[in-house]
Amino acid sequence: MAYQLYRNTTLGNSLQESLDELIQSQQITPQLALQVLLQFDKAINSALAQRVRNRVNFRGSLNTYRFCDNVWTFVLNDVEFREVTELVKVDKVKIVACDGKSKYDITEY
Amino acid sequence: FKDDLSTSPELFTSMSPYDVDLPIETTEDVLFNSQFNQPKELLNDFSSVDLSFLPDITHDKKEQHLPEDGDEMQKEFDGSISGKEDRGTSVDESSLSYPGVTQPSPEASGVCPPLTPMTPMTPVTPASESSGIVPQLQNIVSTVNLACKLDLKNIALHARNAEYNPKRFAAVIMRIREPRTTALIFSSGKMVCTGAKSEEQSRLAARKYARVVQKLGFPAKFLDFKIQNMVGSCDVRFPIRLEGLVLTHQQFSSYEPELFPGLIYRMVKPRIVLLIFVSGKVVLTG
Repeated sequence: MAYQLYRNTTLGNSLQESLDELIQSQQITPQLALQVLLQFDKAINSALAQRVRNRVNFRGSLNTYRFCDNVWTFVLNDVEFREVTELVKVDKVKIVACDGKSKYDITEY
Repeated sequence: FKDDLSTSPELFTSMSPYDVDLPIETTEDVLFNSQFNQPKELLNDFSSVDLSFLPDITHDKKEQHLPEDGDEMQKEFDGSISGKEDRGTSVDESSLSYPGVTQPSPEASGVCPPLTPMTPMTPVTPASESSGIVPQLQNIVSTVNLACKLDLKNIALHARNAEYNPKRFAAVIMRIREPRTTALIFSSGKMVCTGAKSEEQSRLAARKYARVVQKLGFPAKFLDFKIQNMVGSCDVRFPIRLEGLVLTHQQFSSYEPELFPGLIYRMVKPRIVLLIFVSGKVVLTG
């Protein structure tokens, strides 16, 4: 079963909101919405693992860390996300990371 | 024997090791002063003491444990010096008779232990070398009992800077920044605190961890805080010939340069292990 980690992302949240609307207007059943979300989990996990090739570096200072249930949670301060093309600076970022093959997954900040 | 000198067990007596009632101060007296004349109940508990005022002297002190029974300072001494064996760095005190005598008699001085390091059986360090070298504490390990069962998953989920991987290790690993330390917290309620640079810091850090656990809702107490190990390091500032050392002190030394570049010297009294390197750096632990 794929991680449900990505449901709380811009993409995942948009999907959940759309599904909720459809449920409200009785166009789909809640059970179907659940199946859609499960399929979304599989699709996004697979896409990130297989189709994403670019690399982002980031550096900041560690505020707190936690490791429980094999999930790492970090809170960093004054972080610079660097991609070849551009630079993004943020004051605070929370990183929730699950065990993967090679890449860590970053939730939105 | 019992010492007749003022024997207040307080740490900061007016007597410094050199500051003893001697009517005549000969060079020999100065040399052997601290060895033979100091109050015997001096300096038994180092837990909250800054000893930097003391010159570094390698005289034989009573076996020093640094435990704290709860909050009490251990003021009792165990045994008498004469009961000690003549090993390691201890001075051959049985050869001296000075009950109640504040000044070493000429005979006593004459029967002083051999000072040359070439005596294999009783290696002895010179009496009072004020080399000025004071080892610096690098690490203190202590334990304390919080006296209540703990839910480690709960702690790992709610405390900051905690790791819990029960598949690998059955404890929560928590860290704080001040004093910079790491704690291992077990479900039994027992805790190990490592990384502090002094005994007092170790105790303070352990208290901070206990407070974290307490704030998470557990009825944590602070029982049987005990320092388990202290590690220090220093530099003698001259190269050391390890081969020579292992020849003269073979019962205590273990030196295998192909395995490890340092000589491992297991001192018997006090029971300390030293890692001695050719550079002159020394690590003391135990």
